[in-house]
Amino acid sequence: MSPLEIFLEFFKASLFSTGGLGNLPILHQDLIALGWAREQDFVTAIAVGNLSPGPTGLWSVSLGYLLYGWLGAALALLALSLPPLLILVVSNLYNRHQGLPVVQDFTRGLSLGVVGLTLIVSASLAGSAIVDWRGLLIALAALGMAVSKKVPIVLILALAALAGVLIYL
Amino acid sequence: MELSPRPGLGEIFLTWLVIGIQSFGGGSSTFLLIHETCIKKGWVGEDEFIRDWALAQIAPGINLVKLTAMLGHRLRGWPGLVAAMAGLLLPSGAVTVLMTAGFGLIRSQPLVVAAMKGVLPATIGLTLAMGVQMAQPLFNRAFQEGRVRLGAHVLIMVLAALLMLVVPSISPVAVLLGSGLAGIAVFALLPSPASAVRQEGEDAG
Repeated sequence: MSPLEIFLEFFKASLFSTGGLGNLPILHQDLIALGWAREQDFVTAIAVGNLSPGPTGLWSVSLGYLLYGWLGAALALLALSLPPLLILVVSNLYNRHQGLPVVQDFTRGLSLGVVGLTLIVSASLAGSAIVDWRGLLIALAALGMAVSKKVPIVLILALAALAGVLIYL
Repeated sequence: MELSPRPGLGEIFLTWLVIGIQSFGGGSSTFLLIHETCIKKGWVGEDEFIRDWALAQIAPGINLVKLTAMLGHRLRGWPGLVAAMAGLLLPSGAVTVLMTAGFGLIRSQPLVVAAMKGVLPATIGLTLAMGVQMAQPLFNRAFQEGRVRLGAHVLIMVLAALLMLVVPSISPVAVLLGSGLAGIAVFALLPSPASAVRQEGEDAG
């Protein structure tokens, strides 16, 4: 594998998917078939992406590092920074036509769809993240604090980590 | 809503750097911090924000990167976009690499395992809170437009959720495009009794 091949692989996966983990199926299929990565690499990269600061999509950077060191990480980061720029084309088209009622109705429907999908994603993540009633209490407490807008997110997560240590250690 | 004057490039870069570096626990906390910060600074209104987030769902790449690109571009054109994306991605990308290198060493530490058992449920609560906050302006407006249109709003939201639940292999992009088309169909068929109010709301947004 050459640096250019690595870049192109990550670029392709990001260009033909949406969302932080949307590129996973393409990368998984290709890199395993090419023998460049093992299952273990994917599990590690996804775990780190979920823990580390920034978008979960940075899991690709972690995978790039496992493939080719710092250069692999830099190439993965560059490859996933470029396709999102197409959003400017989308938003430009939207802005030019946003006065039309049909565009307003479309974006309203779209926004409602986003809310609906957010609920479903939360529910499916909850299946693996919440293991017992104490976890459920932590989730509800975090929900209440976040909706009140009075407690900073970082403090909520720090309190949750503390609760985890006190309960489960 | 009165929006603040345009910030400088340094402030944009630093703001996203702080967001990127302190949002441990992956994407939902990053999203919540972007939301909290940009609303509090008056850089963007709640309904513009959800519109950007909705558009971000239908283009390629990481949604948070697209959101950051749009917000940076909104604030200061292309330089603002570069400053925001660099702030979000470079430091947190570097930390991600360092954590990859160190992760094998601490993964099984009991303290880390226990702390994560508390953090993971909290991220679920935070994600739900985000859904509530995004829904608020939509439903506030629908409420003013009468019961029928309010019902139509609930229907579109629930149908999108159900479709995703029943057919998990379906592409989210397809579901969202479907929701948009449903919006056109339903809202064209159900003219708002308070369309004057609606027009005003749209203009303000």
